[in-house]
Amino acid sequence: MSDIIVSASPHVRKKRTTRGIMLDVLIALLPATVAGLVFFGARAAVTIVLSVFGAVATEWVWLLCKKTSIKAIARQFDLTSVVTGLLLALTLPPLDYKYFYIPLLSSIFAVGVAKMLFGGTGKNIVNPAIAGRVFAFISFQSPMVSGWMRPLFGSVDSVAVSSATPLTSMLGDSIGAMGVSNLDLLLGTGVMGCIGETCKIALLVGFVYLVVRRVVKWQWPVIYVAVCGLISCAMGKSMNYFLPSVLSGGLLLGAIFMATDYVTSPNNKWACYVYYVLLGVVTALLRFGTKIEVVSFAILLLNLIVPLLNMWIRPRPFGATPIPQLIKQKCADLKAKLGKKKQKEGEQQ
Amino acid sequence: MKAIKGKFLAKGVHVPDQKSLAMDVPIEVMDAPDIVAIGVQQHIGRPAEPVVATGDQVYMGQLIAKETGYISANVYSSVSGVVMGVEKRPNVGGTTSDYIVIQNDHHYQEMKLDPLPDHESATIKARIREAGIVGMGGAGFPTEVKLSPKTPVDYLVINAAECEPYLTCDYRLMIEKTEEVLAGIRLLAKALGEVKIVMGIELNKPKAIALFEKYDDIQVVALKKAYPMGSEKHLIYSCTGRKVPVGKLPADAGCVVQNVATAYAVYEAVELGKPLYERVMTVSGKGCIHPKNLLVKTGTPYDAIRENCGVKDETVKYIAGGPMMGPAMASSNVYTTKTSSGFLMLLPEETTEDNPSPCINCGACAEVCPMNLLPMQIDFYTQAGKYDLAAQYGGVRNCISCGSCAYVCPAKRALTQSIALCKKKLAENKGGAK
Repeated sequence: MSDIIVSASPHVRKKRTTRGIMLDVLIALLPATVAGLVFFGARAAVTIVLSVFGAVATEWVWLLCKKTSIKAIARQFDLTSVVTGLLLALTLPPLDYKYFYIPLLSSIFAVGVAKMLFGGTGKNIVNPAIAGRVFAFISFQSPMVSGWMRPLFGSVDSVAVSSATPLTSMLGDSIGAMGVSNLDLLLGTGVMGCIGETCKIALLVGFVYLVVRRVVKWQWPVIYVAVCGLISCAMGKSMNYFLPSVLSGGLLLGAIFMATDYVTSPNNKWACYVYYVLLGVVTALLRFGTKIEVVSFAILLLNLIVPLLNMWIRPRPFGATPIPQLIKQKCADLKAKLGKKKQKEGEQQ
Repeated sequence: MKAIKGKFLAKGVHVPDQKSLAMDVPIEVMDAPDIVAIGVQQHIGRPAEPVVATGDQVYMGQLIAKETGYISANVYSSVSGVVMGVEKRPNVGGTTSDYIVIQNDHHYQEMKLDPLPDHESATIKARIREAGIVGMGGAGFPTEVKLSPKTPVDYLVINAAECEPYLTCDYRLMIEKTEEVLAGIRLLAKALGEVKIVMGIELNKPKAIALFEKYDDIQVVALKKAYPMGSEKHLIYSCTGRKVPVGKLPADAGCVVQNVATAYAVYEAVELGKPLYERVMTVSGKGCIHPKNLLVKTGTPYDAIRENCGVKDETVKYIAGGPMMGPAMASSNVYTTKTSSGFLMLLPEETTEDNPSPCINCGACAEVCPMNLLPMQIDFYTQAGKYDLAAQYGGVRNCISCGSCAYVCPAKRALTQSIALCKKKLAENKGGAK
């Protein structure tokens, strides 16, 4: 007879685990990673490896410093740091080898400061990958915003795109001026940009995978992107802005993989609607204001109000009074109160 | 009446039902062992007071403990023999309470309640109370109290959902004792007065649906297979479209919910004069060699049932009741009660090892919560000792403890434990404030 286990109900549980979810996210990131490698070759590979290494090593060293045994670390290793490292690498430009310290330092910052300092998996307030990305952007400005590597193939009008990402000039100038079509943006051919952000089609494949595996609800990224695109159109007074504004920059990567991060997004449906609409609005507005690092800062900003959203917007329990009825009730109460007041006043007079 | 489809329950979880293990095994009468221990607290409410003394000769169906209040129930002897004493024995959940221990003489000399003079509402209710009938779905709330609602009622909802995986005892009762269950349901309806009878049966029991469809006074509602379909509030919503208001009882929505097994017990008590001292129980699980549906006498040790059905060596868990809400037992040296609906023996492959990791705020628990609560918030604030905030932001007071949240949790957090702790602390604080 084996030992009898006593534990709380339920005694049957779903097979899905945190590690499984993170593995799904990694699989979903695979197409974008492969696209990045194809476009930018060895430089991308080095950046990715350094970033992932930095992220995982930071987590492990942190836990070792907290006197956790190697065995325990391995058992609780849930792949979140791998996801963080990979996501961070995908948001970095394919850097020259002499800048090897950038992915390393930013991933150490991402996991060390943004995640472990706050208490590790599930406790971070902002998305670690975005924190790392912003850290890199602020700390190492020149390699991050200029002198970007040209993709290995695709026809690039070198004059038009020598200094900035397509988005920067596009929102300033009229569309199509630099010879980048929507199709180019979709496929990433001839577009300069970050490792994972260039090939949108790869990101979309990842999105479909996440939706099919039910890791991410399709509504959320769609709401974010649609709101952002529509507001861009409204501000530009032309529907032609929709596709370029959606397909360029880090919007898709941000919407699919960063904004939907479980830890830093609201925990219920209604709060999520508000969150993603707000994200779209903030992103679109910021884009017209600053033009750089927009998606990162928008998500970072909105991450900070998630705890408030969780507190303020909560689902109503099953069997709660329906809202119209509730309003009617409140109105009736108010009327009764006012009536009493008037009566009192009348009596006094 | 032809079965209609129940209202769609969007929330809840889909648990593999595992009912095939014992679904087609006919009910078998199990002989009681030499010694039975019958608890005085087999129901919600105050424990019954023993009315027999050590050395007394008792008969099967003789009153051995009397109710002590409005919410309380009589207890009857399930065997004939000699009372060996009133002793403290372990409960299923790990606590101890008083048990009347009886030496079984295996003669099963029966003592019956007097036949009823008429079938008026009041007489039926009095008999139900006298026979010690309690809700046999698991909660064990005295049935007579439920049948005397303070607000007018126009629906009698019969709970035949049996949404807990593995359990098939209600299903077997419906198949094998259709007429008797039906008579019981009609008696319950009569006790309530003018009511419509609806019967909620999950779609994975097509035979039962077909059987009860034939009767004109019963509206069968075919329910989607989901857990927790058998929860009172959700059953009422699915069957009648009404929602029980927050913090209110089903009677406030004009409904009374009764279990199939309860209906059968009512039939036996009213028509046969037989008080509640035995019930059908499912013994199942892959760790069980011969899964069975047994007619078990109250007070039978689980040990005896285990020997009757056989257990595999690799079994790691004994569960009293269903796997979603039933407690795990430290040993099978405990005794069955009126509410014991199942005894499961699970192999490691069926049950999961709990290895909680930090919450990643994925929202899966909130997505499935049938009460629309935020279990992760309850867990968070409970861990921090802020029970009031858990109630404010998580809504723990409305929790029905179904365990759906813990079932889906990818971090395998012990949500049900947190919730139970939080509820207990809130109750204590409330008591202290008074």
